[in-house]
Formats: sequence, structure tokens, C-alpha cells
Amino acid sequence: MIDLIQTLGSGILVGLVYALLGLCIVIIFKASEAFNFAIGEFLILGSFLFYVLFFNETLPWHRALPLGVLIFLFFSYVFFFDIRARFVIAIPSGLVAGFLIFCVLFFGLNLSSLVSSSLLRFIIALPMGLLAAGFVGSMVERITIKPLLGRSPISMTIITLGLGFFLRGCIQLIWGSHAYPFFLDLPDITMEMGDFLFLSDPIWAGILSLLTFGLVIVFLFRSRWGLAIRATSEDQAKAMAFGINSRFILLIVWAISALCIAVAGIMISNFGALQVGMGYVGLRAIPVVLIGGMDSIGGALIGGIIVGVCESLAGTYIEPMGLIGFKDVAPYILLLIVLFIRPYGLFGTVRIERV
Amino acid sequence: MLSIENLRVVYHDVISVLNGISLGVKDGEVLIIIGANGAGKTTLLRSISGMIEFYDGDIIEGDVKMDGTSIKGLDATDIMKRFDLTYVMEDRPVFWYLTIEENLGAASFSRWDKRVKADMEEVFGYFPVLRSMKGKRAGYASGGEQQMLAIGMALMTKPKILLLDEPSLGLAPLITEELFSIISQLNQTGITIMLVEQNAHAALGIGTRGYVVEMGRIVLDGTAQELLENEDVREFYLGSGKKERKSYKDAKRYKRRKRWL
Ligand SMILES: Nc1ncnc2c1ncn2[C@@H]1O[C@H](COP(=O)(O)OP(=O)(O)O)[C@@H](O)[C@H]1O
Ligand SMILES: [Mg+2]
Repeated sequence: MIDLIQTLGSGILVGLVYALLGLCIVIIFKASEAFNFAIGEFLILGSFLFYVLFFNETLPWHRALPLGVLIFLFFSYVFFFDIRARFVIAIPSGLVAGFLIFCVLFFGLNLSSLVSSSLLRFIIALPMGLLAAGFVGSMVERITIKPLLGRSPISMTIITLGLGFFLRGCIQLIWGSHAYPFFLDLPDITMEMGDFLFLSDPIWAGILSLLTFGLVIVFLFRSRWGLAIRATSEDQAKAMAFGINSRFILLIVWAISALCIAVAGIMISNFGALQVGMGYVGLRAIPVVLIGGMDSIGGALIGGIIVGVCESLAGTYIEPMGLIGFKDVAPYILLLIVLFIRPYGLFGTVRIERV
Repeated sequence: MLSIENLRVVYHDVISVLNGISLGVKDGEVLIIIGANGAGKTTLLRSISGMIEFYDGDIIEGDVKMDGTSIKGLDATDIMKRFDLTYVMEDRPVFWYLTIEENLGAASFSRWDKRVKADMEEVFGYFPVLRSMKGKRAGYASGGEQQMLAIGMALMTKPKILLLDEPSLGLAPLITEELFSIISQLNQTGITIMLVEQNAHAALGIGTRGYVVEMGRIVLDGTAQELLENEDVREFYLGSGKKERKSYKDAKRYKRRKRWL
């Protein structure tokens, strides 16, 4: 019994992280009807961006400079074409952004010498890392997805597959493929009650994921931008005709998605180490969204928890029977069962049918 | 205020839909465009509003001008914001999964300010039925209510010129009548209206001038009264006669060409 509760608890905590991954897939799917297969790469990239800021990692100039230039080009582009700033504003702001990024990458942020408390360091580095991840997300959207606006969602989905390989290659080029030790050193909130033991890291992961999830929902359902996102998600043409710039909205959605994936990535890296090979964890989002329903935000939460629990149950009860690795397969078996009973997932949208 | 000069539009680089249309919309009028299915009316409105690009169409010749400034090739949202031109798409362009209130809010996205709430009240003033169901999802509203909502959403954008694409499509005659009377009320508040309709009789009833479009060309124009009395218009669009069959044959030939491409 104690075993069971312990297992369920850890399952739920991990499940919350998966739920966040699911959410990232769902909002992109709702907005552009594409499945983002590059989620694993976004996850590593987001973690690395945070890593650079938090652990004061520096890059040699021949790696930092191209990244700075890329940021410059992108910023100028967005300022000029999307925000419609004038040329004299767009170029300098791009230059500033590019230069800042270059400096951070080349000289390092050296947060640790400025702030001694690791919690404070985390609080400072997290938003910056997430912002960076968001920018990468929007950059990717601009370059790969926007040209396909109005085309079939399938082509976007295929593009994300290729994009995944491309990003992975880039990450390997920049940071190599060895493992980076990743230890956030957050305050210890290990819960030990009688026979139960919940470790600090998974609790932090669960809390922060849930918090991020909640913030995204509040943003989507309580803000004016969220309303525009929901309108665009339903129909890009209609949104455009009523003055909502669908293209910019899509960019925002990708940015939010990349940002949330980064949160999940950082939490997952914190369980062990960070390395390129970790990207497969992102694909856990597939059973999550398929179980919960591709277009259901609540479904992502439930689906995430189901997958987390299922995985941890399999780990505790089935793997000891000699089936090593069953933990990774269990969610997919569950997925098959769910899809057999409910092809649209548990919470797929009830389509409004007019009579 | 709006002038269209010799406009030619193709879809996917090959399907030619508008073959040189010229027309003008005068300040404060209700201009009616009538034409059969597939004549290119919707395409015309898409070209004016900048939505054509979204449907993979191109303006290959001609120009669209607002008060003398060319708006050809601008983004739909830019045209809407800078020239106060709002296009209400055909088939009741409301967001089904948002509530009525959210729909109105979404439509005011481009000009969100303190007055949005007051404008919403104004819309409810025109369409009282919407007020009573403002928390309901638009997808569950009836066709007439959806069309009213669509026009209400357009009003939230504060247009000077409103392009309406077949608002009466699929609505009961009584509701159509109500809708048209509101449209002409809106016109009296100073909004210029360009109304595309197949329901020629009702539309010409509230219009000042009209054009008849066929196969991407303007074949007839005149005041609403003239068109109502015109022999051809009566046979083609207001009643049925021998010529109906001829136009049917045209439509068929057109379809064949499309398939062949
Ligand atoms: N996105 C599109 N791609 C290709 N052809 C189109 C597209 N939209 C409309 N058409 C074609 O253009 C012609 C004119 O259509 P439309 O402008 O919708 O006519 P109307 O509104 O007068 O019924 C039709 O034959 C239609 O098949
Ligand atoms: Mg039409």
C-alpha cells in the first residue's frame, strides 16, 4: 500500500512535467494544426540556453559570433516586418540584441560572482533562459512555419521533423554531445512523512510545471492576447479579416510553446545531466496528447498525469519481474488501449454540429 | 472613396477568376454587386481587403485605391487599420468556440481601448438578441444570430467602409429583411457599404447603385432602380426565363475548364 501511494505520488509529479510538454504540443496544434515533432530538440535547446546563463558556460568566439549575427538578423527582421518599426529603429535594436547575446555567450554572464544564493541565481536566470528559448521558438516559426501559412498542416508537420534533425545538429555543433552536469541546488523541500519519501527535485519539477501550466492558461483565457490566440486557433482567415494579425499570433504561440518546453527541459535535466541524447524525453508528449486529445488543454493535464502514473506503476511493479525498460513502453500500450476505445483521445473537442 | 481599376486576379497562378473589373464606390452609398455563383464576387472582395494572398491568389493587373492611395498588396490587417475597411466574409465568419462576447472582443483586438465596452453596448443596441445570449458559444447560435454577430464584430472594428459578402445566405426571408434594414440603418450613420448578394431583389431594395458581375467581368451597371427594372436582370436574377438556361450552360463550361486545369 505504501509502495502504491509512493509510486502514484512520484508518477503524478513527473506527470505534471509531461502535462506541460503536452500543453506545448496542444497550443501549437490548435493554432496551426501542425504537430511539432521537434519538441525534443526544443527541450534540449531550452535547457542549454538556461545552462549557459545559470552555470556561466562560455563559448569560443567562432561559435558565439554566428549566433550573435543570427540574433541580429532575426531581431531586425521581426522589428521591421512584424512590429513595423522604421529601419533606423529596427537595425540598431537588432544590433543591440545581437551584441548582448554575443557578449553573454562569449564572456559568460558570471551570475555566480554577482549573486551567491543559488535560489536567487535561479530566479534571475530562469526568465532570461526562458525568454531566450521563446525567441528561438519564434525565430524557428518565422523561418520554417510562416512560409507555409495557409498550406496543408501536413507540410508543417513534416517540416518540424526536418527541423528537429537540423536543431539537433546545431546543438551538437555548438555544445558537443557529452553530458553536462546539471544541478540547480534549489532549496531542499524533500517530504518525508512516516514511510513516504518524496525527493526535492521531483517536487520542484511538479510545482514549477504546474505553475507554468497555470500561467499559460490564465494568459490564454484571461488576456486580450489570449483571446486573439484562441480566435486565430479557430480560424486564421476569419481572425485576419477582423484585424488580428494571425502571423504575429502564430509567432507568439510558438514562442510560448518553446518557453514552456524549456521549463520542462530544465526540470528534466535537473533529474540527471543535460546532453543532446536526452531529446527523446520530449516525445513523451505524443502519448500525452493522444491520450488527452490533440486539441484539449485540460486533456493535456490529465493525459500527462496518466502517462506519468502509468510509467511509474510500470517501473515499480512490472520492471522488477524482469522486464527492464517496460517503463518506457507502458505509456504507448496504454495509448493503444485508449485510442481503441476513444479515437479522438479522452477529451478531444466535441465538435459543434449545427442541424 | 474606393476605386477598382481593371483588376485581374488569378488563383494558384493559373485559375483566372477576375478578368478586368473596374468599379467605384462613392462615399456614403450602398453599392450592390450581384452575380451568379462562381462569378467572382467573393474574389473581388478578397482582393480589395487584402485577404486574397491567404487564398493563394494574386492580383496580376490593375489596382485598388482608397481615396487615391493604392492598397494593393498590403496586409489585410494593415488595410483594416489604416483605411478603416472591414470585410465580413461569406458564410458567417464568427468564431464558433468563443462566446458571443468574446467574439466581439476578439474583433476589437486591433483597437483595444477603454471604449470597447461602450462599443459592445452599441452593437447590442443594434442587435438586442445578442445581448441576451452573450455568454453562449457562437457555434450554438442560429444562422441569423451568427450573421448579426458577424456584422456586430465588423462594427467593433469601427469601419468607414464595410464589405459584406452574401449576408443573407441561408437565412429565412424575414430575417434577411431585418438584417437589410439594419444594414441600411448603419449606412445612415455614415458607413459606406459594398454589399455582395445573390438575393438581388432584397439587396437592390436598399441599394443606391449596383453592378452585375458575370464570369469575372462587369456586364451591367446602373442605379438600383434601373437594375430592378432592367430586362436582363429580371430574367437572370429576379425571376426565371429562357436566359436562365443559357447562363447555366456558361457555368457548366466554366466548371469543365476548371477540372481540366
Ligand atoms: N482559393 C481558391 N482557389 C482556386 N479557385 C478558387 C478559389 N476560390 C474561389 N475559386 C474559384 O473562383 C471562382 C469564383 O469564386 P468566388 O469568387 O467565390 O465566386 P462567388 O463569390 O461569386 O460565388 C469559382 O469558380 C471558384 O471555384
Ligand atoms: Mg461568394
